[in-house]
Amino acid sequence: MAATPRGRTPRDGIDVADPWTAIETCYAKGWTDGLPVVPPTESLVDAMLAAGTWAPSDVLLHEPVRDRAVTADKAAINAVMAGCLPEYFPVVGAALQAIGDPSFMLHGPATSTGGSALMIVVNGPIRERLGLNAKANLFGPGNRANATIGRSLRLVLLNCLDCRPGVLDKSTQGWAGKYSLCFAEDEAASPWEPLHVSRGFAANQSTVTVFAAESGHNVLSHGTADPEQLLACFTDAMAGLGSMSPGRTVIVFAPEHAAHLRAAGWTRQQTQAWLYDHAWRTLADLKRGGKVEPAFYASPALVDWLYHDAPQGRPAALPDAGDVAGVQDGDETVRVHRGLGPEDIMLTVGGGDAGGHSAFFPSWSRGRSVPFVTKEIPQ
Amino acid sequence: MMRILDPTLGPPPAAVALPRAPRPHSLSGVTLGLLANGKSNGMALLDRLVERLGERHDIGNVVRIAKTNASAPVSDRDAEMLAGRCAAVLTAIGD
Repeated sequence: MAATPRGRTPRDGIDVADPWTAIETCYAKGWTDGLPVVPPTESLVDAMLAAGTWAPSDVLLHEPVRDRAVTADKAAINAVMAGCLPEYFPVVGAALQAIGDPSFMLHGPATSTGGSALMIVVNGPIRERLGLNAKANLFGPGNRANATIGRSLRLVLLNCLDCRPGVLDKSTQGWAGKYSLCFAEDEAASPWEPLHVSRGFAANQSTVTVFAAESGHNVLSHGTADPEQLLACFTDAMAGLGSMSPGRTVIVFAPEHAAHLRAAGWTRQQTQAWLYDHAWRTLADLKRGGKVEPAFYASPALVDWLYHDAPQGRPAALPDAGDVAGVQDGDETVRVHRGLGPEDIMLTVGGGDAGGHSAFFPSWSRGRSVPFVTKEIPQ
Repeated sequence: MMRILDPTLGPPPAAVALPRAPRPHSLSGVTLGLLANGKSNGMALLDRLVERLGERHDIGNVVRIAKTNASAPVSDRDAEMLAGRCAAVLTAIGD
């Protein structure tokens, strides 16, 4: 094992004949997400590390359930494999720190049957410096920074946290966003202050905001500029029984929809409040859809969710386990909202200038899931 | 010839062997803790287990804790309460 140029602890590696063999070796070792990877040579990894602010041994992510620590060195190897340019590494590192925040409880979104993707929203000046896409097809293919920064997180989960499909990743179905889901906010098209400013950062800071997301739903509206008519399309999607939960929501407004809200003078808080107030189903609807489980009644938080907006408040006596699923007197008038309040709905802006196509991303579980986490990108 | 670096962390560290708590000699009269791990049917499974155990043992009190999130560890407060009050704790996940 050769010593590294800077005399660090030698790294584990494999000698191979040429790049093609290297790519196939990565497949053979189970080190890929199914797509070919860039062979992580020592010089490429050193260049990646040099573009960040971390020492190779710095721990960027510690997963407490299985006590695994991802160092900057391992993160850089996976970022090279994902196809990142070195200048992307600060974003990758910040995103790893964000999903490693204890409040994010990574073990859940990394392993659950819910099959969530790790969404990364980038704000601040770094977006333009790296050429991150906030415009047409921002969730789709075609942009190196978007594609490879998001892919780096997935490769870290696969290679460092052993979140392999069917092994530790038990996603029932998963979805394509699990390959990569990174995009920039279109701050110029937003009717409001940039997302990271709304979350306590300065406009000249660059940040990542992460969320564990189910697949996005296209919210299509071309026929109105009226905010309430427009937002009704969103709340109808948010209150769908399939996605209904006390969990959080990300809305990515297309510029066209954002412009309608701007023209009408709607604030971020007003929009969040309207969405929360109107994204509800009756308790009877939830029961008819089999969405109320006996165990909910053992959880004070879930009981609070179900009866938060009930005209008569929380019932004095909760139903017996056997009766939980049956529609009872009063259930038709109990409104159960998606989430616990307007602050559970994160609003951001992105997409092509043409088209009335926005997106609703639900959280991944039947419970609260995990919060939004924002971290500064160190430079 | 070229060298590619290993992107994995290698095998997980060996679990640290902690000393086992003393086993209760009997469940008769003892306080039994139930820790459901935050999925829908963990407590139902544990309750059924207690029902079956009750056919063979004269169990004293039963203390129930249901974690609200399967991804989060049990709170220190609940862990200390269970450790302080219970002779044995059963835990389960059931979806």
